[in-house]
Amino acid sequence: MAYEKILEALIISLNVSIFSTLISLLVSLPLGAIIAIKTFYGRSILIACIHALTSIPPVCAGLIVYLIISRSGPLGWTGLLYTPTAMIIAQSLIIIPIMSSLILKNIEQDFKNYKEELITYGASFYVITKLLLLNRYGLYKTIALIGFGRAISEYGAAAIVGGSIDHVTRNITSSIALETSKGNLDVAIGLGGMLILISFTLSFIVNRKESFK
Amino acid sequence: MRHIFNYLFLFIIIFSSSISARDYLIIQSTTSTVSTGLLEYLGDEFFKETGIEIRTVGVGTGQAIKNATRGDADILLVHSKKDEIKFIEEGLGIKRYDLMYNDFVIVGPRADPAKIKNLKDLKSILKILSSGNFKFISRDDNSGTHKKEVSLWSKFNFNFEEKGWYIKTGSGMISTLNIASEMNAYTITDRATWITFKNKNFLEVLFEKDENLFNPYGIMVLNPENYPHVELEKSNQFINWLLSNQGKNLIKNFKVSNNQLFFIYE
Repeated sequence: MAYEKILEALIISLNVSIFSTLISLLVSLPLGAIIAIKTFYGRSILIACIHALTSIPPVCAGLIVYLIISRSGPLGWTGLLYTPTAMIIAQSLIIIPIMSSLILKNIEQDFKNYKEELITYGASFYVITKLLLLNRYGLYKTIALIGFGRAISEYGAAAIVGGSIDHVTRNITSSIALETSKGNLDVAIGLGGMLILISFTLSFIVNRKESFK
Repeated sequence: MRHIFNYLFLFIIIFSSSISARDYLIIQSTTSTVSTGLLEYLGDEFFKETGIEIRTVGVGTGQAIKNATRGDADILLVHSKKDEIKFIEEGLGIKRYDLMYNDFVIVGPRADPAKIKNLKDLKSILKILSSGNFKFISRDDNSGTHKKEVSLWSKFNFNFEEKGWYIKTGSGMISTLNIASEMNAYTITDRATWITFKNKNFLEVLFEKDENLFNPYGIMVLNPENYPHVELEKSNQFINWLLSNQGKNLIKNFKVSNNQLFFIYE
């Protein structure tokens, strides 16, 4: 029983966080590249905003998504509240600024180093982006891992928009909160151990990669 | 690049399937029916028979009603009759059904510093507890239990707000019991949660079986005139199933450590 619960929570957590990481990556890569390479009006303000958004409290991100997708909200007709999709949206909202700002910083740096060559060859925006991304391929994998680690260990947003529904949206973090309050410490400890293992493994990989380079 | 598109495609499928016709019902309910496992047990049985999944959100009664008012549910199952009737009168729900009942109990430290254990009268117990010499924990979250507690204080005209002895937790029943246990304090709980509660080393039931402590649960479907997304047919099917002999028997036979938690109207 306890084993099944732990496994189910793990699957839900992985499922949701992998999707939110992929979506955030798909949004952050072009966003970061555009802001880093192009020059346009209001660019510095946009950069400041993205950096500021990296510190959005997960609970507030959850609240914002809740207000939008609740049946009384503007996107209520989608019926997304209390589904894994809602959790994916909320987690993406949290990690897109984090991943964008990291990607932005790195591309900006690289672009500065290779700017003259690239411009001399008359490379288009698309080619520049492709070259710069491929050049530091490993780094962007690391950034994805950072986002994933943040997404999977987050509680507030997933709990608000997911509703901690059994078999559907009860992920590792909301299970830990629930089982601890119920006094089922064995399940809570099992889940907590697993989450710590995942987080430690991720940050180990991330840090090894960074020191390696 | 290709598998990124595959993932994206999969995501779109998941996204769109959640928009189209649903084969699940969302029930806004109270912590007492969720943390005891009752709704999970009933939902599993119902799913086996009909293939309709029951998804339960367990929050305090006040929040459950608010969430339902926003439209984020098909069915509302709570325990605060006055609010339920108001919900129906405002046209938000169709009809309220009496589903089941149990009762509230007053629990406190085993040592019982207030010496209320042998008292038979609720009024004198509340008087001692409000004297300021003992701690009382309130959930303060607009849940059914909190509303009951406030109604008891005001029924006997005891003042409880903003006093040092009256501690507000703002959290669920089990957390509140844990806090009462840690702080050597008194509190009120529904019996179902009390029976399921595992950390009973320092707490025990000190007052029970009083007519003021009756705890009825009502169930209702949201009104599709106000909430067009409500799955009326499936919701009615679930409620009829609960009120049938089969549903009643399941509720009656739901036991935790050999104690019946919820009672049905025969």
